[in-house]
Amino acid sequence: MDSLPYYLQTVLNGVLAGCIYALFAMGLTLIYGVLNFVNFAHGELIMWGAYFLFLAISEPFALPLYAAIPVALVITALLGAAMDFAVFRPLRQANRLTLLIAAIGLSFFLRNAAQLFWGAEVQTYGFEIRQGYQWFGLYLTPQQLAIIVISVICIIGVYLLFFKSRMGKSMRALADNLDLARISGIHTERTILSAWVISSLLAGVGGILLALDTNLNPEMGVTNLIKAFAATLIGGVGNIWGALAGGIIIGLAENIAVLFISPGYKDAVAFVIMVLILLVRPYVVIGERRD
Amino acid sequence: MTGMEGRGIYAGYGKIEVLHGASVRAGQGEIVCIIGPNGSGKSTLLKAMFGLIKPKRGTVLFDGQDITHLAPEEKVRLGIAFVPQGRNVFTSLTVRENLEMGGTPLDSKKAVRQAIAEVLETYPLLKDKIPYKAGNLSGGEKQILALARADMVKPRVILMDEPSIGLAPRMIEEVYEKIKAINTNRGVAFLIVEQNARKALSAAHRGYVLDLGVTRIEDTGEGLLNNEEVKKLYLGG
Repeated sequence: MDSLPYYLQTVLNGVLAGCIYALFAMGLTLIYGVLNFVNFAHGELIMWGAYFLFLAISEPFALPLYAAIPVALVITALLGAAMDFAVFRPLRQANRLTLLIAAIGLSFFLRNAAQLFWGAEVQTYGFEIRQGYQWFGLYLTPQQLAIIVISVICIIGVYLLFFKSRMGKSMRALADNLDLARISGIHTERTILSAWVISSLLAGVGGILLALDTNLNPEMGVTNLIKAFAATLIGGVGNIWGALAGGIIIGLAENIAVLFISPGYKDAVAFVIMVLILLVRPYVVIGERRD
Repeated sequence: MTGMEGRGIYAGYGKIEVLHGASVRAGQGEIVCIIGPNGSGKSTLLKAMFGLIKPKRGTVLFDGQDITHLAPEEKVRLGIAFVPQGRNVFTSLTVRENLEMGGTPLDSKKAVRQAIAEVLETYPLLKDKIPYKAGNLSGGEKQILALARADMVKPRVILMDEPSIGLAPRMIEEVYEKIKAINTNRGVAFLIVEQNARKALSAAHRGYVLDLGVTRIEDTGEGLLNNEEVKKLYLGG
């Protein structure tokens, strides 16, 4: 057991988990940047994204995967836009504690709606498990390869969006200084809507990848929200590359911790990191924004 | 009537009313300065005229057209720009991106690129700073960038809130030189709020004294500078 490939496999598994957490964290930090609150219903976008794919590939639709994934992602983006329209838009002038509580309420609602619709039990997409690839003693399944490739594509997409496109630059400008964005002629509501769409797409892609690799259940959003939140805390809330790095760090920390503690406590690692950071910097959740 | 005008503006924050019927006007090609003591409502007046806060009563006119209820993003598209006081650049964006944001109302990427090239001719100081984060600029450079950002859309009126606050004398000089140059070369009207009033009045064609939320005195810039009462009460003797 205590051989080099075993440790390398641990690191690889950590990076794989980290890629998914990074997708969650980038979406979470984007909404924080633009609207200045932690969207505690982000986990439900992750979960519903995964279930929308489940719906699309199941009877009566039974779409092939290449058609089902875009359909599932579009519906996830619509869900994100609907969340904003129904809950957060009427609260634009509210303080961030109100927004936080609204998000928690929305999270409960969406989680219970999923349970009502799908039941509380664990489900899988039901794809047959294929033989993994093996290099130098490292083991990688086709699903895991897909996780890496798709995550990298998403990260490049995020880079192009935020640093090359007008819309993405407007989002960064809005996050930097809302009044000045309006003064410059940026349509704030349109920009906020785009941020919800991007955030939901990242959540949907991550949720689907996670469900492909493991399984689906209505609680999957909650545990992963905590990990995404811990990742954004590591990276500095509102910082998109910080969220990326934070996601990878959480993934690695969890998997490396398993070398020392029982795998049953794996999920606790993100909690411990989160609690430690919040002890030092509690203002990120309800306090004043640092500028 | 060309230019921008606020007539009998009442505005404030929540239940507190700051302006009780203030009226100012900047005609085409005019530099107009609003002076007055701290808390007289100068900044509030500019914000109300630009639509950042909603006037409770009164009218804002642009070329004789009622624009009182237009949002700031719509006013920019009419040719009215606003340079706020402090925090007036996007600190986490590069200088180029700041200018691009100023160019938001322009309809193509090509138009934005061209506007940036022109703005850099007008504000050569920014040329070397283009790839750097605006947060790293000095106070004076930020103020020049803020003016350049507003100038991206070639506005016909620019509203400026305390452009000289916190700047070194040399930079104040530089900012006012730019204002005068843009005004002379392109006929852009300026409505400038200043607490440090001497410099602004000497650059202005006309000026107003705002006190306790109403416009008390109106005269030419020179007239106000030489007015004994204004000197005693508002210019510190």
